[in-house]
Order: sequence, then structure tokens, then C-alpha cells
Amino acid sequence: MSKPVTRREFLNLLGAAGGTAAALRAGTALGLLPGAVKAANLDLLNLGSNQRRVAVLGGGISGLTVAYELQKMGYECTILESSHRCGGRVFTVRNGDLIDEIGNRQYCEFDNDPHMYFNAGAARIPSTHRNLLHYCKELGVELEVFINENKTCYVQDDAMLGGKPVRNIEYTTHLKGFMGELLAKALTEQELDQPFSESEAETLLSIIDSFGDLNESHLYTGSFRAGYAEGGFLKHGTQKDIIAFRDLLKTRLGRGLINANEGDTGPILMQPVGGMDKIIDGYLNHVGSNVRYRAMVAGVQVNDDGVQIAYDQDGVRHSLDVDYCFNCIPSHLMTGIPNNFPEQYIRALKYIRRGEAYKAAFQAKRRFWEDEDIYGGITWMNNPSRQIWYPTAGIHKEKGVILGAYDYGGGMYHTLMTQEERIEAHLADGEKVHPEYRNLVEKPITVAWHRMNHMLGCSARWSRNFGAGWTHEEEELYHTLQAPVNGRHYMIGDQVSMHSAWQESAVMSAQWAMADMDQRVRAELA
Amino acid sequence: MNGSRNLLVSVLMLMPLSGLISAAETEREPYDDRYCTTCHGIDGIGNEGVQAPRLAGMEDWYLRRQLENFRAGLRGRHPQDIEGLAMQPMAAKLTDASIDELVEWVGSWEYKPAEHTISGDVNAGRRLYASCAACHGADGEGNEALGAPQLAGQNDWYLLTQLKNFKARFRGNEQGDTYGQQMMTMAQSLPNEQAMRNVVAYINTLSGN
Repeated sequence: MSKPVTRREFLNLLGAAGGTAAALRAGTALGLLPGAVKAANLDLLNLGSNQRRVAVLGGGISGLTVAYELQKMGYECTILESSHRCGGRVFTVRNGDLIDEIGNRQYCEFDNDPHMYFNAGAARIPSTHRNLLHYCKELGVELEVFINENKTCYVQDDAMLGGKPVRNIEYTTHLKGFMGELLAKALTEQELDQPFSESEAETLLSIIDSFGDLNESHLYTGSFRAGYAEGGFLKHGTQKDIIAFRDLLKTRLGRGLINANEGDTGPILMQPVGGMDKIIDGYLNHVGSNVRYRAMVAGVQVNDDGVQIAYDQDGVRHSLDVDYCFNCIPSHLMTGIPNNFPEQYIRALKYIRRGEAYKAAFQAKRRFWEDEDIYGGITWMNNPSRQIWYPTAGIHKEKGVILGAYDYGGGMYHTLMTQEERIEAHLADGEKVHPEYRNLVEKPITVAWHRMNHMLGCSARWSRNFGAGWTHEEEELYHTLQAPVNGRHYMIGDQVSMHSAWQESAVMSAQWAMADMDQRVRAELA
Repeated sequence: MNGSRNLLVSVLMLMPLSGLISAAETEREPYDDRYCTTCHGIDGIGNEGVQAPRLAGMEDWYLRRQLENFRAGLRGRHPQDIEGLAMQPMAAKLTDASIDELVEWVGSWEYKPAEHTISGDVNAGRRLYASCAACHGADGEGNEALGAPQLAGQNDWYLLTQLKNFKARFRGNEQGDTYGQQMMTMAQSLPNEQAMRNVVAYINTLSGN
């Protein structure tokens, strides 16, 4: 059990009682109610008998959004896609698919079944991503709820309890219990409850009691929330042993566990039935015949009255003259394509760092996690593989595809390994949670976005100092890149957003650019 | 996936590297070894965005030697040679035939000198360059007989990275990389990054002729 936290320690923790009083005054009830913000209502002009040609460089979701919307308005759209597939980092891997990593090509050998897929890039759609959801609805993309946080999954850290995996629900119940006890103690200290009225203090204490499942004396003595050691249905349940506070503090995984249902992953999360690329298919049902595959952009010249594109396809250099160009080529690849962009625009392209995110997956020979009461969700590990995702799709079927590693922050650790080293690393990490893991999984794939052909990076990183936020210079470069060149050429994609790595950002950047172009077209035609 | 099946036939017909695709895989998405321009820019102009140097205009004997060195693991294996580590696994896949193809492909690109991005003390750089000139030529034109590549016209940020890598022994430290070992020794005479910048700034003034 925990040693009592001293008053001094606790005051340090809170940053002194005065801070609490200040915080009480700082908020205001005015203007904080969230408005019902509608999905951007694109009000584009239908060209009617007028003609405008548009080039879309890159068949990622932002580019497809542009082609889909503008084609409806009578624009003649051509999509140039350098790889063999559209979607970019919206990439669902299935039986037979090529994973075109430079120096490490793979073909996916998963069984050929509808639920046997892996979303190697975008994998979750928050219910607040209205613009993306608007297209899902319009394109008839069937959605299902995605199981993200699942407290039946495990927490594993070599430093905690000799590396024994603990159920998330046990870890977080005990953590909240001990934290609740500390909070309750603080509140019952006279100085700390001073800023509150009696009624406020009572309310707060009751919430704290509930937060930690504390007893009448506001102490944590364990909780049935952590699950039953045995019984619970036909017999009374017996409480599980408490894990000592000191043991819980051996890992810092709690930082991620405690807010797994907040922020970006706070809203209900969804996924398309059958794979994230069903969204891409939805767009391609409308604009698929406008896509030129394996067509690599070789030059972009912006003129006063249009944009001249050069591209290589089938060993031949072609040219394409258009009125407007929407470009979702990754910034770090655009810098290797001849262009006549303004100096500051090129500076902005060069400023963005490329992301390094990395994912790996296995086919599981049987759904062994379901034997452990796990249906979907994420196990957190304090090792380089970081997470195991159990599939939401295919519950109770024989096999499933399991995510064996997701390094969302770094990724170079695994990227720099050979394929064999990567797989061994994930097996060794995974068997700390599931002892038979090595024998239960097969047919691995790895997706190192930093090395993927025609991509060479995951989501854009604008800020050089993640903790401190964007500098003034970064904001300026961002706005430079968002604005069109000559009113003719637009960079789009999640790279031209302040919240990269989400499809919503890509869609919204496309909508912003189209709305800007629309004003110019209206002015021309007026 | 969409569209690619339609392209299969034409890609196979036009692709000189089609021998690299096994018959059993023709139902699958085909690939070749022509990955160069993803990193090294269109027509091999180099791409600062991914720190991949200019290939257009590179001497065929030098390009071949580097591809073979990468393939053999004589280059691009040091854990701190970040860009080399990206190149090495690509080269490791190459056959002799595909190296021939790639050298020929790169040779078809038009050479244009790279833009200058690094400035320094050109006069100081000229003095330091005196020892480089013995192998790389007074105009940075290179010398095949000595195994020294052309420096003029190469991306200056790439030259700087390589000088740093040689100095730090990330490059040229492998048995069997004879020329790399020579260069690693020479790089030790450059005392610091400023000296490297000065040399590179001077190389930027050379014609390569």
C-alpha cells in the first residue's frame, strides 16, 4: 500500500492553493457552449456551359475530394497518381497487395477474407470529423463503430511487477483510487477547501469519492471496478487484490491510459466496414476514370493564366495544361520536382519535416485474444512496438489481423531494421503480453511510412518544438503554403493543416482551396 | 488495384527490367527497380527535402561503384549515416543487370549544376581545396584514373553531409572501400564544420570543366 503523501508534496503537486482559487475565477460560463458547427457547406459555382480544366496531383484523399466536388460542378479533372493505387496514407492491405517500401517490397499473404485486412495508415474516424463523415454518407460508405479503448486489454512494462501484464481496468482502477484518496485528503485540509463554499466542497468530495471508488472515510481499499477475482454471477464476486501504488508508478504508461478517451480519440470512433480504403473506392466510383496511374509529376510551371504540368508515364514525358492545379504531393517530394514557385513558398515546402510513423501487423491463426475476454481495443506496452490492436472486425471468426506495432511518434527505430529484425522485435515484444504469441501469429507485414515509395514520410511536422507550439515564423510559412500561387496552384492535404495525420484535415484543406478558387472563377465569369 | 491492371500489359512491354518480375507474380502488382526518382528528384536533379543528391551528370563509373558499395554493405551501414541507411537496402536488392540498367537510365538525364544553398569564406575554402585538387581536379572535374568523382555541380548540402560523414568515420571506415578509406583520411584535415562550409562554398565556384 501507499505511504501517505505529505502535505508539502501535495501542495507542490497542485502548484499551491492560491492557484486553485485563481482557477476558480478564471473560467466563465459565458460563450463556452459548443455550437453546432455544420460541415463546411461548399457552395461552388456550377460552370454550366463554361469550361475549366483542373489537374489534381496525387490521388490522396484531399486530391480525390477536389476531383469529386469539381467534377460535379462541370470541371474537367485529371488526377495524376505516381503509384499503382490511390489513397496515399489511406491504405488498406489485403491478400496479394503490394507494400512498396523502397528496399523492402512485400506482398501481403493474409487469407483472402473480407475481415482479413489491415489499415496501415488512417484507421479511425472520430464522430466530430464532420466533413469526412459527410463524404462517407454521400458516397455510401458503410461505417461501424471502432473499438479503441478497451479496458480488458493489457498494460505491460518490464519495470512493473516483473513484467507481468496487467489488465488496463485493474491498472486504471487502482491508479484512480489512489489519486482520488490524495485529492480527498487535500480537499479536507482547511486551507485547500477554503476557496470553495460548503456545498461546492461537498459536491467536489462526492465526485472525488466516485472517481476513486473511495470508502466512507475517503480511503481507497480496492474496488470491484477492477473486475472479480472469482464469482460475480451465481455467487458473490470476490475482490481482486490491490496493486500497490508504488508498483503502479513503476510505469509511465498511465499517462496514455488516463486520457485514451479524450482529445482526438475522445469522440466515438468509427471505421468503414471492410477497410478504410472503402472511402477511396467511394470517390473512385465517381472519378476513377480520371485517374492516370503510375504517372509521376515531372514539373509544375505556374503561369498567369494557368498551370503547365509535365508528367512521366510508361516511359514517356507528357504535358498537361490546366487552368487550376491542386497538389497533394508530399512537400518533401515536391522539392525534388522542377517548378517555378516563389522563393518563400519553396522555403515553406522545405521547412516541413516528414513524419516517421510505423505500423506492423500479423495474421493470427486463431483469435486468441477472445479467449481472454478481449474484443477489439488496444494493449499498451512500454517497449518499441508500443501497442497491440485487436481487430474490431470479424468477431468470433476463426482468424483475424492483429496490429503488432504502432510507433506513432518516432518509428525510425524499426524503420532502420531489416524486415527479419522488425518481425523478431514485434514477436519478442508481443510475447511479453501473450506468452504463446510467437506461435499464434504468422504472415507479418510492416509499413514504414518513411520508406514507402512515392511517400517517404508520414504526416507532416510543422512545429520544430512540439511542446512549445508553433512559432510565429512557422505560422507565416504555413499561411504562405496555404495561399495559392498566382491564384492558380494550391498545395493541399493534411500537410496544409495545423492538425496533420487526420483525414478530416486533408478534406478541409481541399475544401478551403476549392472555396478560394471558386471566388476567382466567379470573378472571372462575372 | 484500380487502373493498375489495365497498365500491366503496357508496363511489362515498355519496361526493360521486366525480367525482374517472376512469372508467378504477374497476377500481382508488378514492380521494377526504378525507384531512383522518388528520392533523387525528377531526372535525378537531387532533392534537398529528403537529402538525396543529384544523380544527373554523375560519372557512370562512380555511380556504379557506389551502387556496388552500397549493395556490398561497404557504405550505408553505419547507424549514424541516416541517408546512407535509406539507400543501402534499396541497393541490396539490385542485380548486376539492374545496376547496368540504372546506370544507363541515369546517363540519359541532362546535367544541370545544382543551385547553391551554402555560403562560406571562399578564399579560406580555396586554400583548403588545394589538397582536394590533387584527386578531384583543380576545377572539381573529378579524375576517373584516381577514382575521384566530380564535385562541381553537386548539391552543396550533400557535399557537406559527406564531408561530415567521412570526418566522423560514418563513411569510408569499411575494409574493402579503398577510395572511401582514402577520403576518410583526407577529411580529418578539415578541423571543423566551418572549414567544410568554406571548402564547399569554394567548390560552388568551380566549373567542373
